[in-house]
Amino acid sequence: MGSKSKGGASKGEVRVGMPADFRIAEVTDVHRQLGEALDASQILLDGGAVDRIDTAALQMLVVFQREAQKRGNTVNWAGASAPLHDAASQLGLAQILALPAKQPA
Amino acid sequence: MSSVNIAQFHKVFFEESLEGLDAMESALLALDEGGDAELVHSIFRAAHSIKGGSATFGFPDMAALTHEAESLLDQVRDGRRAIDKGIIELMLRTVDCLRGMFDRAQGGQPLANADSDGLKLELAAAAGNAIPAAAAKAAAKPAASGGWSIEFRPHAGMLAGGNDPLRLLRELAALGQLVVEARLDRVPTLDALDPTECHLAWHLELTGAVTREAIAAVFEWVEDECDLSIEPIVAAAPPPAPAVEAVAAPAGAGAAAGTPRAAAASSNDAGSVRVGIDKIDGLIDLVGELVITQAMLDQFREDFDPSRLAMLQQGLAQLARHTRSLQESVMGIRMLPIGSVFNRFPRLVRDLSQKLGKQVKLDLVGEHTELDKTVLEKIGDPLVHLVRNAIDHGLETPDKRRAAGKGDVGTLRLEAFHRGGSIVVEIVDDGAGLNRDAIINKALQKGLIKSGEGISDEEVGELIFQPGFSTAAVTTDLSGRGVGMDVVRRNVSDLGGTVSIKSRPGNGTTFTITLPLTLAIIDGLRSAVGDECYIVPLVSIVESVQLPPDAVRSVTGGGELFRFRGEYLPIVRLHQQFGCANARQKIEDGLVIVVESDGSQVGLFVDELIGQQQAVVKSLEANYRRVEGISGATILADGSVALIIDVAGLIRLQSRRKAA
Repeated sequence: MGSKSKGGASKGEVRVGMPADFRIAEVTDVHRQLGEALDASQILLDGGAVDRIDTAALQMLVVFQREAQKRGNTVNWAGASAPLHDAASQLGLAQILALPAKQPA
Repeated sequence: MSSVNIAQFHKVFFEESLEGLDAMESALLALDEGGDAELVHSIFRAAHSIKGGSATFGFPDMAALTHEAESLLDQVRDGRRAIDKGIIELMLRTVDCLRGMFDRAQGGQPLANADSDGLKLELAAAAGNAIPAAAAKAAAKPAASGGWSIEFRPHAGMLAGGNDPLRLLRELAALGQLVVEARLDRVPTLDALDPTECHLAWHLELTGAVTREAIAAVFEWVEDECDLSIEPIVAAAPPPAPAVEAVAAPAGAGAAAGTPRAAAASSNDAGSVRVGIDKIDGLIDLVGELVITQAMLDQFREDFDPSRLAMLQQGLAQLARHTRSLQESVMGIRMLPIGSVFNRFPRLVRDLSQKLGKQVKLDLVGEHTELDKTVLEKIGDPLVHLVRNAIDHGLETPDKRRAAGKGDVGTLRLEAFHRGGSIVVEIVDDGAGLNRDAIINKALQKGLIKSGEGISDEEVGELIFQPGFSTAAVTTDLSGRGVGMDVVRRNVSDLGGTVSIKSRPGNGTTFTITLPLTLAIIDGLRSAVGDECYIVPLVSIVESVQLPPDAVRSVTGGGELFRFRGEYLPIVRLHQQFGCANARQKIEDGLVIVVESDGSQVGLFVDELIGQQQAVVKSLEANYRRVEGISGATILADGSVALIIDVAGLIRLQSRRKAA
C-alpha cells in the first residue's frame, strides 16, 4: 500500500498518499487517514501514483475537501496523476477537488 | 480522448454486418420452416454484434433499432415467448431495414427514416416495452442541435453493485458533447460517509446527433439502481423539415428492396476480398519455391559451362512450373463460393411464392462451387431474373399442378458445378414448360418470325431471348418490368458466358448458364493470319481441320459453307473479317478452326496454328475502343499485341450477315 502518514495527532503538515489502485475495494484505508488528517492545519494530498480510480474514491476526496474547507484547513496537492485528472474532470469534480495543473504521468 | 480515426474500420464493419444480416436472414427462413433453437441463438448473436458494432462506430440509430430487435429475440431465446410467423416477419423486415441503413451509411446519408422509426416502435411494442409516444416522437428526429438534458441520481447501492458512474459518463461523452455538473447536495460529512455508498448526483447536457435510445442504452444496466430522466432541450429545437424530406423517398422505394442497394454499393469503391489463411500460406510457399529456383538459376550467371545445359533447362522448367502454380493460386484469391449469391434466393422464393399463391420448394446444390469475384457480382441479377421467371411463369399454382397430376409443391433447383474449364449454373423447375403456342403467336405478332410452321423446339426456346419479347398475358410487377430474357443473355455474354434453355412440355424448364472460371486469363490457341496473330479461346474450339479445295461451297450472297460431320457450317475468313495483309487465300493452304458458341458453330479460316498459350486479357475497350468480333487483347512473349477472338460476337456478326 503506498499510503503513509506523518505527524500523527499533533498540528502541522500531514501527507496522505493514494494507492495505484484507488477504487472502491481500497478506499477504507485512505478514508481513515483522511479522517485523521483533518486534525492537521496543512494537508498534502499525493495522487501522483494513482493509476486506476473510481467514483467511490473521488466522492470521498470531494467530501474531504468540503469538510476541510469548512474547517479552514489548507489542502494542497503534492501530485495528481493523469488518470486521476481525467476521472475527476469526467465526473465534473475537478474544480471542487482543486486539482493542480495537469502533469505528465 | 484518443484520436484514432474510427472511420477506417467502417468498411470492414459494413462488410461483416451485411454478412451478419445474410446469416440472420437465412436463419430466420430456416426457422420459418421449423428449425431448432440453435437458430434463435445465431440470429441473436448476429443482431447483438451489429448492435455493438454500430454503437461503437457511431451509428446510434442502427444501434437503437437492433437493440429493440435484440430485446424481442432475447425473450424468444429465454423461452418467455414462442417464435411465430409474426415475429419472423417482423425480423425479416428488420433485416431489410438494416440493409437500407447500411446503404445510407455507406452513402453518408442520415440512417433513420420513417420506415425504421416505425419498425422500431413495432419491435418495441412486440417486446412489450413500448416507447412512450412522446419519447418516440422525440426520438424520431435526432435532436440535432437541441441535445438532451439528463438528470442522473444513482441510488446509494449502485457503487457496491459494481456499476461506476464514471464509466457511464465516459460512454455518454463518446456519444456527443457532454457537459457535466456534479450535484453535491446529499453529500454527508467525512465521518458519516460510507465510502461504498453513492451520494453524488449529476446534471448532464449532451449535444450532438444522439437519439434518446442511444442514451437509454448507456443506462440500460443501471435502470433499477438510479433515478434517471432524459429530456430534450427544447429551446433550440430546429424545424425538422429537411430530415422528413430526405426520408420520404427511400421510405416509398424501400418496399422493392434489392435494387436501391445495388446502386448504392456500385457507386462505392472497388471493394475488397477476404482471403482464407490457407490460400495465403499456399502463396507464401510458392513464392519461397520461386526464390529457391531463382537462386539456382543465378548460379549459372556466375560461371556457365555448356556441360551444365541440362541443369539450366531443368531450372527453367521448374521456374515455368512455379510461375504457373503461382498464377493459379493468385487467381484463386479472387475465387469465391457461389453460395453468397445463392443465399439471397430462399428469401426471394419465399416472398414471391407467398405473393403468387404458389408453393415452391427451393433446392440449392453446389453452393461451394467457386467463381471469380467479378463474375459472381454480375451473375446475381441475371439469376434473380431467371428465378423470378421460373416462379412467375414456369411453376403452376397448386390447383393447376393437381390437374396436371403433379404434387402441390413445385420444385425449383439451383445447381452450380464445374464442367471442363467452365462453371455451369442450372435453374431447373418442374413447372409446365414453355408454352409453345403462346410463344409462336407472340413472335408472329411481333414480327420476329414469318410463320409458325416447322419451327423446332430449340428455335422456340431461342425466341424468348429476342429483344422485347414477353408472353405473360398480364405483366405482373414481378417479371414484367421491361427487362426481358434478352438482357439476361446479354449480361451473361458480357461475362463471356452463354445461356441456353431446354423445355420439357408439362415437366418443366431448364436454363443453363455457362460461365468462364475467370475473366482475367484465358487459355487460347495462338493462330497466324497474315502478319497478325489472333488468340482463339480454347473453350470454344471444337476441332481444327485442313480442308481440300472441293470441300467448300460458295452460296449466293457471297458466303461459303463446308461440310463438317454431316452439317454445313459457314466459314469466316479472319483475314477478310479483320482486314489482314499477306494472308493465305486458298482454303487448302490454311486451316479451319471449328468453334462453337450459344449452340451454333462456324469455321474460322486461319493461315496456321502456332501453339497453345495462356493469355492475360487486357481490355480493348479501356485502352482503345470496342471492336466487334474481338473480346480483348493480350501481349505476347515478344512484346507484340495479339487480339483475342470473341467467338460469340463473330457468330452473331455472321448470322446478321446471313439474315441481311
